Amino acid sequence: MTAIPALLRPSRRNRRLWRNSSRYIVLTVGAVIMVLPFIYMLSTSFKSQTYVLTIPPQFIPHPATIGNYRDAWTTDSFARYFLNSVLVALATTVLSLLLSSMMAYAFARFRFPGREILFKLLLLGLMVPAMMLIIPQFILAKYLGLIDSMAGLVVFYVGASLSLNTFLLRGFFQAIPVELEQAMQVDGAGSITRYWRLILPLAKPALATATIFTFLGSWDEFAWALTIINTPSKRTLPLAIALFQGQNSTLWGLVFAASIIAVVPVIVVFLLFQRYFVQGLTAGAVKG
Amino acid sequence: MTAVLDTTEPRTSPAASGPSRVRRQVSRRTRASLTAYLFLAPGFLLFLALIIYPMIKAFQMSLYDWNVVAGATSKFTGFANYRTAFHDPVFWHATVNSGIYMVFTVPPQIVLGLLVATLLNNKAPARALYRVLFYLPVVTSWVVVSLLFQYLFADSGLVNWMLHDVTHLTGHNISWLSSRWTAMTAISALGVWKGIGWSMMIFLAALQGVSKELLESAEVDGAGRWQRFRAVTLPAIWPAAVFVTVMLVIGGFNVFISVVLMTNGGPADSTQVLLTYMYQQAFTNLNFGYGASIAVLLTLGVFILSVIQLRVFRTDSEELA
Amino acid sequence: MARCLTRPRATKLLGVAVIAAIALTGCSSSKKSSSAGTTAKPVTLTFWGTYGNGGNKAQTDALSQSIIPAFEKANPTIKINYVDIPYDSLLQKLTTSAAGGQLPDLVRSDIGWVPKFAALKVFAQLDGTLSNFDTLSADNYPGSLATNKYNSHYYGLPLDTNTRVLISNSTALSSAGIAAPPATFDELKTDAAKLAAKKVSVFADSGLQGWNVYPWIWSAGGEVTSPDLSKATGYLNSPSSVAGVQMLVDLYKSGAIPNLIIGNKGAIQTSDGLPKAKYANILDGPWMQAIWQGQYPKFAPVYSQVPAGPGGSISVVGGEDINMTTASKHQAAALKFIQFTQTADYQIAMAKTGQMSVVKSLDSQEAATVPAFAPYIKQLQTARPRPSVPEAPAIDTALQNELTKAFQGSESVQDALTKAAATIDGLLTKAS
Repeated sequence: MTAIPALLRPSRRNRRLWRNSSRYIVLTVGAVIMVLPFIYMLSTSFKSQTYVLTIPPQFIPHPATIGNYRDAWTTDSFARYFLNSVLVALATTVLSLLLSSMMAYAFARFRFPGREILFKLLLLGLMVPAMMLIIPQFILAKYLGLIDSMAGLVVFYVGASLSLNTFLLRGFFQAIPVELEQAMQVDGAGSITRYWRLILPLAKPALATATIFTFLGSWDEFAWALTIINTPSKRTLPLAIALFQGQNSTLWGLVFAASIIAVVPVIVVFLLFQRYFVQGLTAGAVKG
Repeated sequence: MTAVLDTTEPRTSPAASGPSRVRRQVSRRTRASLTAYLFLAPGFLLFLALIIYPMIKAFQMSLYDWNVVAGATSKFTGFANYRTAFHDPVFWHATVNSGIYMVFTVPPQIVLGLLVATLLNNKAPARALYRVLFYLPVVTSWVVVSLLFQYLFADSGLVNWMLHDVTHLTGHNISWLSSRWTAMTAISALGVWKGIGWSMMIFLAALQGVSKELLESAEVDGAGRWQRFRAVTLPAIWPAAVFVTVMLVIGGFNVFISVVLMTNGGPADSTQVLLTYMYQQAFTNLNFGYGASIAVLLTLGVFILSVIQLRVFRTDSEELA
Repeated sequence: MARCLTRPRATKLLGVAVIAAIALTGCSSSKKSSSAGTTAKPVTLTFWGTYGNGGNKAQTDALSQSIIPAFEKANPTIKINYVDIPYDSLLQKLTTSAAGGQLPDLVRSDIGWVPKFAALKVFAQLDGTLSNFDTLSADNYPGSLATNKYNSHYYGLPLDTNTRVLISNSTALSSAGIAAPPATFDELKTDAAKLAAKKVSVFADSGLQGWNVYPWIWSAGGEVTSPDLSKATGYLNSPSSVAGVQMLVDLYKSGAIPNLIIGNKGAIQTSDGLPKAKYANILDGPWMQAIWQGQYPKFAPVYSQVPAGPGGSISVVGGEDINMTTASKHQAAALKFIQFTQTADYQIAMAKTGQMSVVKSLDSQEAATVPAFAPYIKQLQTARPRPSVPEAPAIDTALQNELTKAFQGSESVQDALTKAAATIDGLLTKAS
């Protein structure tokens, strides 16, 4: 923002002050709406069933109990499921980002026969409901020997995330000035060097976005995990949480306690990567 | 807009003449194509095997009275499943509900997401905090937030307490999940609440690319806020806006978990959307052929809609630019 | 040039990433233990069920700590690998597994699914396969056994049973000056008026499927289908059937039944509404006792029979069956386990955790071990099964959708049941 000689223009300064404070009011109201349900969930996770859904609602649980967390963590091998989820989500994210950024680079920077049709085919992957692919995919997984293995989760999660990530990254790669690459090409850098040393570092914000989406997608996935995992020790968190939802009654406190345990790592990943989001993309590259 | 490397002659390339130049150009082009294919191959082969092949199989299923059991024979019925769909009132009802969900969720997510992104774009204290808060719903699983919203919209839940006991906006507690429109409203509220952060993030990234110099010179020229937004900001973030719109429409058609958990399509199919109906046909009634045909119709609809959107937005962006 | 040199590096890099990913997840396609079984090695049977439903560990603990060890001790060449599946997901998992030919050896399936999986040839026929099938099945409750029948053969044996009885909150009743739970339709109607003044619903239920409404239809003297399960028209829409549903609709319209019954997932669940005295009576099964003990320790539910109408007090049979899959590679061992499930070692041990026995000769032993089952055992003597046909889920959907319209007032009960009966006729013909 340009530095305005503030003392010389008091009216302008006032207007800016007013604008700033109204901006914060709007943002704060929005943020409260965003966060309130979580607070209520957090509060419910500390209640016993008797105090769930009372009118007027209890925001501060009284009496408060950590029984739900204890039950959630000690039922079965919750810690094991947690670790499984972390491993699957990490492996999926690394592989998917590598493969989809390579594809995105090809789509963004090369002209080759079949480019349009291949890209459209890829977009089709965004549109088909995953649920309908489950049966053919299961037969395929059986053929590949991937049933009841976490590798089977990773491979298919990567496959499912390729479309979105490639689509997203291609857009960002295209926005990177082609002159930078031409300069490197003149210096004799091959395409792999340019992709690895120029495009990927410049696309950090996009990669961070894709990382979060991919991590989140595999962290949350339920239907496929339910379908191929049989051995209890290979379960992921969503499966474990589903086991808490009873047929005859829902223990809200327990379900929410388990959910909060599951949400925390995702928030951590987000906090770790969020600073990359806003790093200047083109601005940083051209001027810096 | 699309900068393609291999068509731009490297500046150092010697100006050759005659047939040798043509040959070199051809070989360079082939080599560039080869490089592109090598970059594409690992990912695309995986994609073909894991997504496209199952898609073809699913389409094949839709042409049969499909017996799900391995090795069993199924009866080929041609397009009978599609004919059933066209005469099935619940299918049309579900299509309309999917449309309602889209209308209720896509525009608010775009407008509010862009608004929040714009408000957060300038350097300001606590910006990172707000960003995290708005993004929180996005990183929470659908299962968790759907249960949470079922709980909030329960008859004696927080929403009714706010509307009735606190603000007295409603005379009595609304039974949100018991009829079509109120239930669709609650489900859409969840969609918007969970999605704002996502579109905000895409817009924030795109706003980084808006030229500050252009904005400043426009201000110097006396353009107002709105004029500056229309003339400078909007064209710059247009690709991102197209991306967000297309993705949200696709996502809107694929709404599933929130409906299953909040109403399960009920009461009496009144809140059934395309995917929940497909799931019910396939996995409850084990009517796989019919379920697959609904999925194919859904995919087809989304594909056509996306192509239309890309067409429409593309011409618009060219006019703007 | 540089390009040629770097290409192998990238391939290597990719290879490393893939290997790392697979190593990270720690699993290079583990072999299914049940696939290879010689006489020397014990065979492992995989057994899928939903015993651990809802974080309730009593049943899974009984299974893994005493029942299965007892069986394995008696049969040293057989190992049982029990896998708990989320209740709502077992059907989907069974279906996809059938499609991939990756089924377990044994399944504890809902009684409503057996005809469908029998028709799909997923479950194996037991009469003629199991040597003492006739002796075992003769000792089962007929209502439970019938759920395994498809095309005049049996594709499983009953594993556990249950039924719905009337459960009441005595505090709610006495607050309106009512001394005892309603024993008849007429008492239910008079109680409704008294409870209305206290803003308590006389009755609550969470749906309009067969499980929910058949007790009222049968108790009113109505029928669902013809005895040979070939036709619903003339039975489901008979005057008696209509009268049973009409009573519920009248109560609903007067506000005595909450809209939970038409599928409002935002209403208070029966498991919470009864102990909180929002609802005076519900129909439910023997599992509720354990749930309330954990969540509402002070609540003392009162159990009695389904209110009697012109047809008597008739409830609906629920429960699970034990089935062997046709894909099982160890059928002899699986059959041995099925035989074991019919013994006191299995039935009475499970009864202690809330699963009612299906074996008639164990009745008195069960009643002595678990006195709380008494009202259920009594109700089971007249309880009836839902029509046991492959299209059972579609029948439930048709019934629920038409009845919802009747409750919402857009259709008369007579019209709703006539339409539902016509739809069900079609489904029954399709099945046969």
